Amino acid sequence: MSTFDVELTVNGTPRQGSVEPRRTLADFLREDLGLTGTHLGCEHGVCGACTVLVNGEPARSCLMLAVQARGADILTVEGLANNGVMNPLQQAMWESHGFQCGFCTPGFLMQITALLVENPNPGEEEIREALSGNLCRCTGYESIVNGVLRAAGHDGSPPEPRH
Amino acid sequence: MQNIAERYTGASVKRSEDPRILTGTGCYVDDVRLPGMLHAAFVRSPSAHARITGVDVTEARKLPGVIAVLTGEELDALTVRGPGAAGMFSAGLPMPSFSVLATDKVRLVGDPVVLVVAESRYLAEDACELVVVDYEELPAVITQEQALDPAGPPIFEDLGSNVLVRSPVATFGDVEGAFARADRVVRAELRQHRHQNVPMECRGVVCSFDLGSGELTVYSATQGVHIARTGFATQLDMPLEKVRVLAGDIGGSFGLKLGAAREDIACAAASRRLGRPIRWIEDRSENLTASGQARDESFEVEAAISNEGHILGLRVKMIIDTGAYPGLGGMLPEAVKGMIPGPYKIGALSFESTAVITNKASYIAYRGPWASETWVRERMIDLIAKELAMEPLEVRLRNVVTRGEPPLQMLTGRSLVGVTSRESLDRIAALVDVEAFRRRQAEARAQGRYLGLGLATYIEAAPGPRTPGGGGGIMGPEQMRLRLEEDGTVTVFTSQMPHGQSHQTTLAQIAADEFGVPFDQVRVVVGDTDVVPMGFGTGGSRSATMAGGVSLHGARALRAKVFEVAAHLFEASPEDMDLAAGAVSVRGVPARAVPLGEIARAAHEPGRVPRDLEGDLEVTAEYDGGEGGWAGGTHAAIVEVDVETGQVRIERYLVAEDCGVLINPAIVEGQVRGGVAQGIGAVLLERSAYDPDSGQYLSSTFMDYLIPTACEIPRIEIEHIETVPLDADVNFRGVGEGGMIIAPPTLCNAIEDALSPMGVRVTEQHLPPCRILELIGAIALDP
Repeated sequence: MSTFDVELTVNGTPRQGSVEPRRTLADFLREDLGLTGTHLGCEHGVCGACTVLVNGEPARSCLMLAVQARGADILTVEGLANNGVMNPLQQAMWESHGFQCGFCTPGFLMQITALLVENPNPGEEEIREALSGNLCRCTGYESIVNGVLRAAGHDGSPPEPRH
Repeated sequence: MQNIAERYTGASVKRSEDPRILTGTGCYVDDVRLPGMLHAAFVRSPSAHARITGVDVTEARKLPGVIAVLTGEELDALTVRGPGAAGMFSAGLPMPSFSVLATDKVRLVGDPVVLVVAESRYLAEDACELVVVDYEELPAVITQEQALDPAGPPIFEDLGSNVLVRSPVATFGDVEGAFARADRVVRAELRQHRHQNVPMECRGVVCSFDLGSGELTVYSATQGVHIARTGFATQLDMPLEKVRVLAGDIGGSFGLKLGAAREDIACAAASRRLGRPIRWIEDRSENLTASGQARDESFEVEAAISNEGHILGLRVKMIIDTGAYPGLGGMLPEAVKGMIPGPYKIGALSFESTAVITNKASYIAYRGPWASETWVRERMIDLIAKELAMEPLEVRLRNVVTRGEPPLQMLTGRSLVGVTSRESLDRIAALVDVEAFRRRQAEARAQGRYLGLGLATYIEAAPGPRTPGGGGGIMGPEQMRLRLEEDGTVTVFTSQMPHGQSHQTTLAQIAADEFGVPFDQVRVVVGDTDVVPMGFGTGGSRSATMAGGVSLHGARALRAKVFEVAAHLFEASPEDMDLAAGAVSVRGVPARAVPLGEIARAAHEPGRVPRDLEGDLEVTAEYDGGEGGWAGGTHAAIVEVDVETGQVRIERYLVAEDCGVLINPAIVEGQVRGGVAQGIGAVLLERSAYDPDSGQYLSSTFMDYLIPTACEIPRIEIEHIETVPLDADVNFRGVGEGGMIIAPPTLCNAIEDALSPMGVRVTEQHLPPCRILELIGAIALDP
């Protein structure tokens, strides 16, 4: 099968490769560039674990082809920390015990990153709606929602029960 | 030991797993890269039940980039048949012989038939498309009725029928007398539907056979490396010592990833044949279709009751559908029988069971595998309450055991010492205010709104009460090695294989407190059969007590050994040693303190300490579960059912749980919430659905098998009850499974309560909107 050259920017660094047209962006990132922080949970675009930011917009890297990302600016989970120092979202998630097994984590972090750019102070319902395309099987989501609230500047303690 | 104020145990210490998980630098099995690594894919059965009449791999072998195509027959010659690792659950049960991949027949949709190994996964899947398998279709056995039909086609010819095991009636107490005395008898046929684990990471393995040494190294996503190693060694006919199993980060499991799967064995055999590493990563369709499923049981129950609501006796008949390849499913009825009285003073019990084989995915462990005992009991109690027009809470309070009052033994034998079901029921009653809810419910009904309150209670042997001649750990003792390193840190080697449970944090908290070093100076090593002690691994909610207990006792033993070595350096007595700020000194002489690392170095240097103390400053500890005890709790849900759409909204979900002393409250609450979320999914969304005629699997994508999102799971209010301690030191209890055990009956009870004006009786666990509309008569029943 013929291959195509792909040049793009990943986490601020110019990268290139030569790929079959059918190669997914996820496989290109994971297998060709060695960025295994992005995870594959379903490969049919539902679970959201493979979410990366493409030119600032969240995208399912399992549903996007590497050739479609030519010239794009990609941000993956490996690009969030700065010189080994976790960014405020990562810190907030650590403080909030946001995740358990960690497999869905990269997708959530990228989706939340996009959410907080669009809306730096989201309410709980907005957070849940924004994360409804990302599946987590471990946590029941409450700790993740608390982590987003904390990252958005709330103290991270759960609000009073709604009743 | 740390001062109480400075103790890590009991504090929501931030997880040591998180820096790697949050920065994308963890290492899951799909992240393992070995030089020369090849990629595997499987040709799988499109039919539920068919005879294989021909396999043609000619075209597949010709495809460039394909390294090997191995048929079921070829792999059969390279491996040992059997139940493999699944056999550990089924000792003493009838067990058919079956090959690693299908040879004679396929027995479920997705049964693996041919293994393709290629330079990339893309090429391996291309080659799978070129394999031609001829099948002669056989009638599919999908329902319990089909499986019980003696005229049906046997799925395993050597078993002769599709009944795997039929257990005769077992009786406890005077059953006939109880029914003769009863004021009333409540009868129900109850059904728990098939659903499944669905960890976000599918199964996977990287197998690397070294032709030079004859050793097999396996990187596996597994709940226990030693069990997996036994599986590989057995089915590859290799000495245990020649197999090493490694595991890194694991993306959830909930019971799925135990032992060595058939696909794992096939990849290991192929690696041995080819002398190259082979990676197989299951895709989601394979995972949903063929990795295994759980919870497919039906029950006929009769309860003999008095008009005061006392449960005089139960008659229970259970049928379990164990799917295609027998394993755990065959032995579960024994566990259900033992646990079905729960924390209640039930006067008498008769129990009989049948396990059948069907052309569906094999029955596997899923978070509280025996949970049908709780579902059946807690559903029946609400049906009894309905019969008597009593408050369900009141029926529970009249029957539940009370601490300090006899009987403190379950009808089926186990001690109930330390059970706090009564306390958790009282706590939930106070939190909910049942009378106030009933008033609000009546007002809402007057406005055409349907609110419901459901509650349910459970206990789990996590680890279980002390048994005669042994400790509280029902699955055997737990070992741990602990070593003081030359940099003053403590390394803990455990057979626990955390996959979300955060043991690298919690075990370090306990060891740090007991040894007396800061938390970040304890390193917890997991996942390598060459270095971690023998043990089952992680499962059965046993880690908190068993691994927590051995961490405490092991750290205590290591501290004593360090003091013994230090005493020689100081020419003093071990009893006079003191440890503070990472250094040991003679008590009262802190100026001459020796850092911990220096003590480890002294032990390594010949001649500085007596010969018997020379070498690694290391101890091996073992813990049998001590006095043990029960975990448990009561949950309550307040729901509103929309009778137009059939949607259920959970207004409030409350938990009063008892897992003894909390090691890390945030981690405990994460386990509780995660379990409840799976239970909510099981009731409102999830079902492993099969076409009853063709046996086709209907839920093989996330568009068909729905798991809950952040929009379906409410905030969950949790209160902790800490049992009166039974053991002198270790009163941590397991909490991993409880949420999933108790949430389904809690929610079903709430939904039935909401719909009681329509006379709805809930006898099944799966209540998606369409089913609710059927139950209230808004739409016609699906025939």
